[in-house]
Amino acid sequence: MIEILQQIVNGVAIGGVYVLIALGLTTVFGILGIAHFAHGSVSMFGGYLTFFLVSGMGFPLLLAILVALLTGLVIGMAIEFLAYRPVRNANHINAFIVALGLTMMVEGLNLEFFGHEQVVIPTDLGRVFNIGGVTLPELRLYVILAAALLILAMTIFVEKTKTGQAIRAVAENRDAAILMGVNVNTIPLVVFAISTALGVCAGVMVGSLFAIAPGIGEGLVVKGFAVLILGGLGSIPGAVVGGLVLGITEALAAGFISSAYKDVIAFVVMITVLLVRPQGLMGKA
Amino acid sequence: MNTMLTKWTAGAAAALVLTGGAVFAADKTLDIGVSDALTGGAAVYGLPQANAVKMAAAEINAAGGIAVGGDTYMLNVIAYDDKANPTEASNAVRKLIDRDGVKFILGFCCSGATGAVASFIENEDAVMLVGNAAERSITTREIPNLVRTRPPADYTGAAAGTFVADKGHKRVAVLGALDVGFYASYVDAFEVELNKAGGEIISREAFSLKDRDMSPQLTKIREQQPDAILVVGYVEPAAFVYRQAVELGIDVPRYGFTSGSEEQFLRVASSEQMEGVWDLRPTELTLLSASDNGIAYHKNYSDTYGIAPSPSSPYAYDQTYALKDAIEAAGTVDDTQAVAAALRELAVPDEVVMQYLPVDGTMFDVNGQAYTSNGAFQWQSGNWVFVQDLPSDAAAYSAFLSTID
Repeated sequence: MIEILQQIVNGVAIGGVYVLIALGLTTVFGILGIAHFAHGSVSMFGGYLTFFLVSGMGFPLLLAILVALLTGLVIGMAIEFLAYRPVRNANHINAFIVALGLTMMVEGLNLEFFGHEQVVIPTDLGRVFNIGGVTLPELRLYVILAAALLILAMTIFVEKTKTGQAIRAVAENRDAAILMGVNVNTIPLVVFAISTALGVCAGVMVGSLFAIAPGIGEGLVVKGFAVLILGGLGSIPGAVVGGLVLGITEALAAGFISSAYKDVIAFVVMITVLLVRPQGLMGKA
Repeated sequence: MNTMLTKWTAGAAAALVLTGGAVFAADKTLDIGVSDALTGGAAVYGLPQANAVKMAAAEINAAGGIAVGGDTYMLNVIAYDDKANPTEASNAVRKLIDRDGVKFILGFCCSGATGAVASFIENEDAVMLVGNAAERSITTREIPNLVRTRPPADYTGAAAGTFVADKGHKRVAVLGALDVGFYASYVDAFEVELNKAGGEIISREAFSLKDRDMSPQLTKIREQQPDAILVVGYVEPAAFVYRQAVELGIDVPRYGFTSGSEEQFLRVASSEQMEGVWDLRPTELTLLSASDNGIAYHKNYSDTYGIAPSPSSPYAYDQTYALKDAIEAAGTVDDTQAVAAALRELAVPDEVVMQYLPVDGTMFDVNGQAYTSNGAFQWQSGNWVFVQDLPSDAAAYSAFLSTID
């Protein structure tokens, strides 16, 4: 029993990272219909930047994260304005190609600025808590709490604020939103800013829990899209449920079946769910 | 007046000869190739190897180059990134041979890529010197133009099994890159010796090169309550295993086979998390165990590259000096068969860093395989400390290697 609980705790931490990646992807996809493949690479940029600020410039961790977040907001808006807006009304394939090109560009920039070495963001969070035989490292605890806080903030923002309502309106019916006076040029900027900021948070989490290195962002974005499909395209609750399901499934699969096939098993579960619910766990039929 | 003129003429002639000689020497350049993982996950082994070859080449050049007959050759290193990928390595070596005209190729940190090149190198007019790649089959194919400075993994795995059994551990859990042949062969040899002492491997959990979250595997191992853990794999995932084992409260001795430097481990885990970890490997470079050559190598490498050398990097440094001596013994830079034959007859060069165990008086045995002693190193207060030698019967292993097809 302890082992199962421990594996679930292990899975929740990595699942929290998946949720943040998927939230960024799902908001962009839900509003703009863009498969933003560069999201993982931009997340890694946020992690690299935090590492650089902490290790290279001596910034305190929280300040470094704040600077990375603000940078992420600006980069997100720049990506929307410079890369995706020009092809907004073009054929979908154009945005698809832009997304692929952007991924290669950001990966290249990461390599150019930060090198090919793996980096781990240093933290002082080294304590380990033991709750009834289940161990919880302090860093993982903070990752879980931070992910929960961000999910809550995102939910409140989308559900309770005027901008959030405008985002939902554009997602549901763009033309009706225009008629209701929603500025449909501003909304994509906001969506990309939030999405990228969430991605930066995920990058920082990956960088402190595990490591950042070339190629990791691509793997992360694949998991993010898997979560998106599992939870239901464009659904924020779906991203949350899907991310946690994927993270916990991976941990349980590695622990009880085979660590060599944990990714395969997680994707088999995803496909099985889609066979039963093609719209995803929380998607609308 | 005549005496003055004679002296002046003699001096001028001597200066001309010296200057002419220098110009003549500078005109002779010998390109040597390096194929190694300069980027990607295996760069922790490959990049230091490439650096080591460049450093050795610079030292050889500074000392006057390689003397062949009346000529002196300065070494020029052409290095390509094979990313430890078999296809990339094959392409890199083809480029070195076909485009750059290179006849001597060094480096080769990783077994998959090395195996791919080894499969065709016999048909090439080239000599291949393998470094850190530890897969046994590389030197069981009787390839006459291939030699390797690092001993095979199972040579060390057997020694490690004996050491762990002697510590009294009966139930050992293994976590490693078990889909990589040489790590699996290390564990197999380890298990044979552990079984002889009445011990057993209670589980074999795997991770891949890109895995960083080992907590599911470690949680499973924790439930099995082993006496000890054996971690075999690349430095970075192994460092995560050590760190996360502490985070999960696993308080049993941790043994490993990684050959990572202190700096490489400290990028991932704290010194406190590493405290007490054993690394059971060939007696490679550590500052505290090194010979005079090792200490000089460590200093020169650190001064040149601003970073400490990885423990396995001298395998490539030593390749370069072995090649130099073989070329000089063969008296040719063109006849690769003669150089390859000279390598097989070579005594251990004076300049090498690793402590080789000659077989029948030569550095490389009939299979082209060199042997070092095996050692037990332990992480103590931020450093790998050499604790003791492990059983290392190079002659017996060499005879065994010759029996394998």
